[in-house]
Order: sequence, then C-alpha cells, then structure tokens
Amino acid sequence: MAKKIKQNDFLLDIHTEPFPARFVPPALDQLKLNAAKWLAGKIDHGDIAVSGTLRHLVLTVKGVAAKGNDKTERFKGPKVGAPAPALEGFARKYGLDPAALIPDNGVLYAEVHTKGESASALFSAMIPELMKSLQFPKFMTWEESGFKFGRPLRAITAMLGDKVVPVTVAGVKSGRSVHGHPVLAKQPVLLKDPAKHAAVLRQGLVIADPAERREYLLKCLAQATKSTGGVTEPDEALIDETVFMVEHPVPVLGKLRDAHMVLPAELLKLVMKKQLKFFPVVTKDGLLHPFFVGVRDGLSSGNELVREGYQRVLEARFNDAAFFVGRDSASTLASKLPQLERVTYQKALGSMAQKAARVESIAAWIGERLRQTAHVDEQAVARAAKLVYADLVTDVVKEFPELQGHMGGVYARKDGESEKVALAVEQFYFPVAAKSPAPTTAEGAVVSLSGKLDSLAGCFAAGMIPTGSADPYALRRQALGAVRIVLEKQLPLDLDAAIAHAISLQPVAVPEPAKLAAQLSEFVWGRAQSLFEEMNFAVDEVRSIQSGALSNLPNAFLRLAALRAVRRDPAFEPLAAAFKRASNILKQAKISDSAPPERALLRDQADYDLYDALVAAEGSANDRIVRGDFEGGLKTLVSVKPHLDQFFEKVMVMVDDEALKKQRLALLSKLVRAFRRVADLSEIQASAS
Amino acid sequence: MTFQEIVLELQDFWSKQGCAVVQPYDLEKGAGTFNPATFFGALTSAPARYAYIEPCRRPADGRYGENPNRLGKYYQFQVIMKPVPAGITDTYQKSLKAIGLDPKKHDLRWIEDDWESPTLGASGVGWEVWLDGMEITQFTYFQQMGSMPLSPVSVELTYGLERIAMYLQNKNSVYDLDYGGGLTYGDLHKPQERELSRYSFETADVALLSRHFNEWEAEGVRLAGFGDPIPAYDCVVRASHLFNTLEARGAISVTERAHYIGRIRNLARKVMELYIEKNTPKEPAAAK
Repeated sequence: MAKKIKQNDFLLDIHTEPFPARFVPPALDQLKLNAAKWLAGKIDHGDIAVSGTLRHLVLTVKGVAAKGNDKTERFKGPKVGAPAPALEGFARKYGLDPAALIPDNGVLYAEVHTKGESASALFSAMIPELMKSLQFPKFMTWEESGFKFGRPLRAITAMLGDKVVPVTVAGVKSGRSVHGHPVLAKQPVLLKDPAKHAAVLRQGLVIADPAERREYLLKCLAQATKSTGGVTEPDEALIDETVFMVEHPVPVLGKLRDAHMVLPAELLKLVMKKQLKFFPVVTKDGLLHPFFVGVRDGLSSGNELVREGYQRVLEARFNDAAFFVGRDSASTLASKLPQLERVTYQKALGSMAQKAARVESIAAWIGERLRQTAHVDEQAVARAAKLVYADLVTDVVKEFPELQGHMGGVYARKDGESEKVALAVEQFYFPVAAKSPAPTTAEGAVVSLSGKLDSLAGCFAAGMIPTGSADPYALRRQALGAVRIVLEKQLPLDLDAAIAHAISLQPVAVPEPAKLAAQLSEFVWGRAQSLFEEMNFAVDEVRSIQSGALSNLPNAFLRLAALRAVRRDPAFEPLAAAFKRASNILKQAKISDSAPPERALLRDQADYDLYDALVAAEGSANDRIVRGDFEGGLKTLVSVKPHLDQFFEKVMVMVDDEALKKQRLALLSKLVRAFRRVADLSEIQASAS
Repeated sequence: MTFQEIVLELQDFWSKQGCAVVQPYDLEKGAGTFNPATFFGALTSAPARYAYIEPCRRPADGRYGENPNRLGKYYQFQVIMKPVPAGITDTYQKSLKAIGLDPKKHDLRWIEDDWESPTLGASGVGWEVWLDGMEITQFTYFQQMGSMPLSPVSVELTYGLERIAMYLQNKNSVYDLDYGGGLTYGDLHKPQERELSRYSFETADVALLSRHFNEWEAEGVRLAGFGDPIPAYDCVVRASHLFNTLEARGAISVTERAHYIGRIRNLARKVMELYIEKNTPKEPAAAK
C-alpha cells in the first residue's frame, strides 16, 4: 500500500560567542560529515548542507521522513533443547514468549522489531552528540556542566518543520529565536519556517553562507578601491580570514600619510595586514598605493568615525614602526654583528655569531669550488655572508620576524653596501615557500645555500633529525630550498662534498662524520626525489639517475630529461629488459668492476659485433655527454640494442672456458658502465601494457 | 570625559552589575590579575564578582616618557565574575556605551587572543576586543591556575584605560590626556616615567634585586609552611616584580629566564594548593 510520507526540513543553528576565524571552516566540514554519518540508516532524508559565520554554525537537512526506519535486531540465545528456565529467562529479557524464539543452526535467537522513533526524537538525540563530535583546535569550558566547545554557546535554534526540536546543551535550551548581528540587529526573530532562516539572518545583518559572503567581500573591496585607481593586494589568506571575521563585510577606505610612505613598503604592508587585518592597496604593477581598506563588520552608514579610528590606529602603529626603523638605522648592520654573540642559535650549536662564521666559511668554500664554472663575485659573497644575520637584532625584525632578510637588505642599501650584497642579504631566506622564488643572483644563491647547509648539518650533527612527520626545525623545507637553489641556479656543485664540509664545521663531536654525511645526503636526496616526481618524472626514472645525482644536480636533471625523452622510443623498454639481464648476470657473477674486455680474446661474431658497436657508441656518446647532450648520448648508446639482443641470443656468457667467460663479463660490465653515466636502466620498470 | 570619569563610570556600571568595587592591591605588580580579588577569587567554587582599577608596572615597557603610547606604569580596569553571567558579552558592550563608546557607531571586533601567565601557571581562552582596530579590552575565560583546571570558570575583563581615554578625548599622546582635577596624565606621570625608566634600565642594583628575589622566594616557601597562603602569596607578587625588573635591566639570560619563571610558578602553585585546601568546605566523613 503506497503511503504518502510527510517530510520536513530540519534546521540547526548553533549560535556562539565569536569563534576565531580559523575554527569555523573545519567545524562546518565536520558538522556536515558527522551529521550524515549519524543519520545514515536511521532515517530517510534529502540533502545535507552547512553554512556559517564566526557566530553561527548552521546545518540543514532537507526532506526528513516523519519517522525513523524500523529496525530488526537478532540476539543470540541458548542452544536448542536447553533447559526450560534458561529459555524462559532469555525470552523474557526481550519481552518474548519462549515459543517465539527462532532456531538457527542449533541455536535459538530472539528477534526484536523496533518501530522507528519520531524524527523529532531522533534529532533531539543527534544534536548533543553532533556538538560533542566537533573537534576544535582548542577547547574551553565556561559554565557549570563543564561542556567543552570552541567558544561559549549562546543559543540553539533547532527546528523540524515548524516545530522546535527540544534539546538542552551546556545549560542552553533550544528554541526558535534567531540572533542576528550582536550590535546591530534588533531583538531575536522567532522563526516559523526553517526555510526562512538565512533570510532572517540576512535581515539581522548576517550573511550566513561563506561563499556568498566571500563574493560580497570581493565586490566590496573592488568598489572601495575604484576611486584610488589601485586594487587591494591579492592575499587569499587574508580574504579567507576576513570571510570568517565579519558577518556582514563593509569596506572602509582610508588613506596613508605621505610621511609614512618613506618606510619600507613590505613593513607598511605587514603592519596593515598582520596587526590590523587591513587590505593594502597597490597599483596595477604591485607598488604600494597610499590607501588601505579596512573591513568593518556591520553597517555601511556612519563610516566616517570608523575611518578616523582606523587611520588613527594605523598612525600609531606606523609611528611605532618608524621609531624602530629610526633606531635600527642609527647604526650600520656591520656594527650590530657583535650583538649576535648574545643570541643563541641552538644550545648545542652555539650563538648566531658562530653560525654566521660557519655560513661565511661554507660560502667561501662553495665560491672556490665554483670559480672555474660559474660567475660568482666571491667578494660580494663574503660580504653578504658576514651580514646575513645582522638584521635579527634589529627592532623591526624582533617585532616582525617575517621581515628577516628583507630588512637586512633594506638596511644594507642604507649603509651603502653594493646592490649585489644587499640583494643577497635580502634573499637569504629564499625560497620561503615551496613555490616561491629562489634567490635571483648567483651570489645570493651561494649565501642562501650556505645558510641552509649549515642548518641541516648542524641539526643532524646535534641529533635533531626529523622522524616521520615531526620536523620541528623545518629541515625538509631547508633541504628542498637547497635542492631548488642548486637546480634553478644551475650550480655545478658537488652537494655531497658540500654536505661533508658543512658537517666538518659543526661545533659538536660527530663520531662517524662520513656516516652522518651519507645520512644527510640521503635526506637531501629525498627532497630532490620528490621535487623530480612533482615535475612528473616517474619514480623508476628518478631512481635510475640517483647514483651520483647530488654530485651534480643540474646534470641529474638533464639525465632525467634525456631518459624521459628516450623512453618514448619503442626500442627502449626491451633494451632496459636486456640491460637488466646484463646487470643480473654481473651481479650473480659478483662482478662489480673489471678490466676492459680485449677484442682479440673474444670468440664469436656476436661478441665482436657487440664489442665494435659498443666501442663506437661509447666514443660518440661520450662526446655528446661532455657537451651536456645527455639525450644524444643516451640515444647513441641505445643504438647497440640489436647487437646486445644478438649477443644474448647467440652466445652463452657463463661458459666453461674461464678466459672467455671473463671477457664476456668484462664486455657486459663495459656496457653497464657506459649507460650508467646517464642512467641505471636496471631500475626501469616495464610499463604495464 | 576625563580619565577619572571613565574610571568612575566603569566602577558605577559594574557596581550595578553586582560587583564589589575593591581597591588596588598595595604591592607592585605587572597586571590586574595579580590582585588577590582575581587570583584567589578565581580559585575556589565560591562566587566572585569584583571590579577595580589596578596600577600595573611593566619595567621593560618604560620609554623615559618619550613614547606617546608606551608606559612602564599605567592602569588597568579589571572585572572578574564567577560563575560567568549569561550574556556577559552583551553586558560588556553596554559598559562601552556607558563610557561614551556606542558600539553601533563603531566597528567592534573580537579577535582571538588566548591569555597566559607563565609565572602563575595560568591560562585562559578569549579575545582582544578591537574598537575601530584599536585594542581596548582583553576578555578572558580563565581555564587554568597553577596548571590546574578551574571549575567553575571565571571571566576576566581588562580595560585598557589609557587607550580608551585617548580615543574618547581624541589625543595622540597619553601624556596629553585630561586626567581630571585640572591635571593632565603627563602632569601626574611623566616625571615618574622618566625616573622609573632610568631605574629599570640603568640604575637598579642587580645584585640587590637578585638577592631579594632569592629571599622572597625562600620566605614564601617558609610562610607556606605555616599554612597561611595570603602572606605567602605576597611573596609571589614581590618575586614576580623583582623578576620583571631584573629582566628589564638585562640581567637575565634566556636560559636563566625559564628557570626564574619556574621558581615563581612553583611557589604560586604551592600557595594555590594551600588556599584551595583551606577554603574548600570539608565534606563530612561518610559513616562507615
């Protein structure tokens, strides 16, 4: 019999004191996920959706059935034929007659049918559990029951259709009142229809939907800056934060005073963004414009007072910043260096002054290694290396640690250091993020790399080695930075040797320096490996060039590119298989290295053909590889394939004739070594076809 | 509105909310939280409702009277309530209106700022309240004292009086504030800022301060032994201020710093435990 089922929409609005912006998006995700999990199988329903602000977490469930699903449960009882009292006792427990027990495989079961609960009862039960299930970055308590939540609960609006779903959480009783903006909304509105919830909030100056609020904010920002000819600086993080810091964004445009525009632009922007959550206005070219937009929560009228307030606060902050810059500028960077002796880097690794000395020494070492191959101004490197940490004792960097390096560059220019030196100091911490740029100059690259190598070597020497996901000193980031610098600046530098050198400079006793260096090289290689994989090189390709990769990373990249290009050749994979066979034979014969084969001591035509082809290919490949043409070199080597196939087809390597066996092994060994200059093909996995 | 009128208005407002308006404590301290009304008030389950102005000394913040926004000695207006009354954030907004800051005409924002006092082993969750971008109040739900969870929880409101007054009087320097009684804030405070900055940064006797720190710490432990937390707590307050002065004077290295803080915290914990033990009604022993 078809029964018309009455459906209702469910609404839950958890109204709290203001959450920190970062709490809200994860809470909304969990609210949706956990509600779906909780309801699954218990009751039929339609779409589940969430929205919210810093004061509201809102959940809606469409098309909820009037009753929960009926349920049948089976409970295992005594064996068939058990004594009557036992049967009766078991049956009574489930309100059944012993005759109603169901035999199955020699055991009796009680089958209990439960009628579905009313939707309202189900949701009453769900709300407290759902609220308890939300994980916040930090919990708090505020009232007698000790309920833990991200912020104190103010009200719960819970409705199913036009009825309130009764529930009490942390002393707050659910109801139908909806609370708009805490300052601007009039009295709470009594909601009759859950579908009107968003509209009621909107009237109370709360835009509940984050996507809508974001769009509105962006429109507001664009409008506000129109008259200035500039735009707000694109800053996704600040936009995301603002979306969850205000319920009804209203832009207020303010002006910077000319007197402040002489301060470093990065400092001005940081003061605006970090200290006041204002959006700096920039020109189309990204230059700072003397304007900002503050986002007010609430009304778009009467903003003159708010603008004055914003400007006054900004003024005070800029005055502070100017005061710091003035104090910092009273003496040169170089004259601040002795102060680094009083700044501890790491307890085991000494002061920042000691670290600076090591960085200077590593930079000089690298400069010397690159003297023949790269154009590096060693004097500029030495000067920059001396100054890189001086800005750590400036007032501006103490106040804004994010400006380390940047302020060093600003002050270096003020002190009359050369632009090369100033830029190297400014970009010392580059790349600051996975995708952000590496230092632009060779000098900057060398100094920045030296800093990273020293940090890595120091932490490894002091036993602060990252394990699993724990990496408190961000060594993975440092290693990735080092790899990127060497690759992007095309430095033909032996990183293995540089690592060993950096370890030798550390002020801690290292019992087995070679072992530690190998461990650190492997760690750094791990970053190179994932970087290459991010560039879409296959795992087996990266593995095949691993040998010797760190001793020349730019070449390692070229070898990879060559491999990928040549791999497209249909002859390549069979060659790789034949190559693997050759390597295995050598492995079994325990040959790692051998004297070169002698043609005269070989015997069959297939021997001679392979020998001749290999000698020719090797010579020509070598010319190409020396010129950096790894692809050409590899292609030339691949041309021996038919001869290698013939060789394996026609002759046996492991023959009884010891002298001949030795020569054939030597021939294979020559082949393997020739290829390994580009890649170890035995690592190549046949692609599934 | 003069500086003193703001204080009077706040006292009046919170008095009407059922708070006892108590007086500043008579020892040097870095924050209103050190006033026993708050420190002891937050500890037990007994209700607490207090409001008071508290002079605070932050030796390291002294600027010889030359910085218009920073002071080595200034005032906080503090409110503590336990249990937390319903709608406390609304009540707070009303208090702003009482001192002439109508939230409807300004941008009032609640910015996450969790408070922590390492020397008291205390921490709380809450906000800085921004009025048009300016921080005017620290609003905190205490969660722990002496590293112990508090129940029931207290709420603490700390008004930054000088900033509020500068805003209301449209002054760019704290020293230009109209204090009341025909005086400026500068008349009352500038000489003291100059001389106290010199004391904190230049002339304070490090050996004497270090010795006093050790002595007051030892005295605190000794007094706690007699089971009287109140005089022992005075030792905590004194040691804490001595530490602040030593630090401003540049006499404490980074490693020593953690050690000093640990010593104050240990003493503070001892005092707290003693106070709780003494002030928690004993359950009658269950009949066997």
